[in-house]
Amino acid sequence: MSSLARLIRQTMTIARRDFVATVFTPTFLLFLFAPLMMVGFGAVGGGAAMSITKSGDDKARIVVLAGGDQARVAVAADRQLRRMFRPIEQPARLIVERPGVNPEAQARAMFERKESDTYAVMYGPLDKPQILHSKNGTRSADYLAALADQVMRAQRAGTSAPLSEATKIVVTRAGSTAGGHGQAAFFAVTALFMISLLLAGQVVGTMAEERSNKVIEVLAAAVPLESVFFGKLVGMFGVALLFLGFWGTVVVNVGSLLPAKLATAFIDVGPAVGLPMFGLLFVAYFVTSYMLLGAVFLGLGAQASTQRELQMMSLPITIFQVAMWGMASATALEPDSWLATAAAAFPFSSPFAMVARAANAPELWPHAVALIWQALWVAITVTIAARLFRRGVLQSGSPRLRLRKKAAA
Amino acid sequence: MSIELAVSATGLVKRFGNRRVVDGVDIAVPKGMIYGVLGPNGAGKTTTLRMLLGIIEPDEGERTLLGNPRPREVSDQVGYLPEERGLYPSMKTTQAIAFMGALRGLDWRTGRTRATQLMEAAGLGHATDQKIRKLSKGMAQLVQLLGSVVHQPDLLVLDEPFSGLDPVNQERLEKLILAERDRGATVLFSTHVMAHAERLCDRLAIIAGGKVRFEGTVADARATLPFKAHYVPHHPNDGIRALLPADSTPEGDGWRFTLPDEGIEGTLVKLIDAGYGISGLSIERPSLHDVFVRIVGAKAIAESEAAEAEGRA
Repeated sequence: MSSLARLIRQTMTIARRDFVATVFTPTFLLFLFAPLMMVGFGAVGGGAAMSITKSGDDKARIVVLAGGDQARVAVAADRQLRRMFRPIEQPARLIVERPGVNPEAQARAMFERKESDTYAVMYGPLDKPQILHSKNGTRSADYLAALADQVMRAQRAGTSAPLSEATKIVVTRAGSTAGGHGQAAFFAVTALFMISLLLAGQVVGTMAEERSNKVIEVLAAAVPLESVFFGKLVGMFGVALLFLGFWGTVVVNVGSLLPAKLATAFIDVGPAVGLPMFGLLFVAYFVTSYMLLGAVFLGLGAQASTQRELQMMSLPITIFQVAMWGMASATALEPDSWLATAAAAFPFSSPFAMVARAANAPELWPHAVALIWQALWVAITVTIAARLFRRGVLQSGSPRLRLRKKAAA
Repeated sequence: MSIELAVSATGLVKRFGNRRVVDGVDIAVPKGMIYGVLGPNGAGKTTTLRMLLGIIEPDEGERTLLGNPRPREVSDQVGYLPEERGLYPSMKTTQAIAFMGALRGLDWRTGRTRATQLMEAAGLGHATDQKIRKLSKGMAQLVQLLGSVVHQPDLLVLDEPFSGLDPVNQERLEKLILAERDRGATVLFSTHVMAHAERLCDRLAIIAGGKVRFEGTVADARATLPFKAHYVPHHPNDGIRALLPADSTPEGDGWRFTLPDEGIEGTLVKLIDAGYGISGLSIERPSLHDVFVRIVGAKAIAESEAAEAEGRA
């Protein structure tokens, strides 16, 4: 048997043991459903909701196709009407554009623009306006209808009867909106963060079991420590895939389970690269983020010789992860900022930032570059972490280090 | 004709900080033998075994395991029971044994089958389905030992295998070691209990202060010390001391002294002629314990134990 085949066999033996020991326990259910608890706490949910709302609000708009006096009056009426709404209930920003030769085509085209999210467009005479709106733009359409009525009322003072009869037509978009991309980016970054947070927490303490049971000596004698290291990474990766498969299935099917009204709220949420490619990229970035963070945490965790040291280590590790998430989620909202570029370049935040980019921008070549860059860092990190791991576990340097010392002497 | 060696080492050195824990150890273990590494606590036995197995690298020196200078490459042919026993408590006994076999290249199914057979042969058949955490310490230790032989290794390395075992389990372990030797395996074990070494070892090395102080058979070891005589006079009185050899020391009702090179007959004739008579006389072969104490020295034993205590602190 070749050395590589032997290494793989030994690695898979360790991985199998770790996978079985993790998954076939009642506590694994707690681990599996941990995201529900996190959502339940609402801290992440609250922050996410605000960010998502903000992400959508920046680009949301309603449009009136009007010119001359009619446009001026519409803007004035909009200013008046808005005063009646609380800040949190304010309609989307009103844009007035001059109507072209074919206002209907012009209005429909507005729904397909990527740089903004158009919820409703009104055109035609204000006593009988045509209002096109998206599925989740019903409120916006109602507002535009009220706006038309307000303008007519201002022109014909003294009557309380409705002066405008709007015709509302639902428009189905060909793809998701720009705001929806931002929302998808935020969801993806948060999901990636949560998975890596949960799994890294497991990986960092995984050597504690071997240390406390003194199994490490048995393993160290039987297989190279590199196999123990990779076995643990692969074992937990198996757990991660199970976790991802479970929650992926839940998320994919959640649309059909949601009530119609709630489902409408997510109708514009979608990645710029398209769902199948996004799924592939998400898995690829998950693999690199897991390998990068998992290797570092496993290497660091091996340095802890007591449970207390392990707990002490957990705090800076969690802070580091939250920092990576914070950086990447900021890039989800501003994909073209310098921060987004920095986050994509820094190896440990790169997977998070790039998954956000996959949601925000349709170009694929940056992902090829990023995956090569991340793979390079995975190789560097795993090599260093494996050495750290060896030194931590055995308190003994590797032969290569010793040779270097000899050469230096 | 050259002897085929299962383990050989020359000039092994290992330092921890400024302390040379192993200081130029040479060992040659012929194939198919039971070889003991004897020494007081902290003598460097475990560190030597760990270097031989490639768990840690020596700072100096060379070693080969089953003819290979890279011990890792032959790890599938080696079984190892470390001094600090360790098993996963949530595993069942047969799983644990099969897992240890799988680490050494044995497939899981064969491992489980052999685990059941081994447990039954070792008198642990009733515990084949039990979790490790439910076993007594001695039983868990035996299970781990079975795990180290399940893949039928060519070399079995046992670090202090008898410590923590009750006499019944010690006997089981001795039988198992002999069975492994009979199967053709080489057994290398460390101990500081001389009785086991005396009963089991074909050859042995005595280590103290990180150095090998003796290497040879048990008989060779005993031959380093002269026989002792224990004489009990029939009519004792104070004048007898003058007729006995110079190194005689009183012991019980009689005297103990080294058997003179020219034999004991002359001394006995003098004692009988002087009217002391013979109430009892025994000629005693030196024990391995005597050899051990003589070679290592009571002082060295004390120093080793002090150094070990310092290391722990």
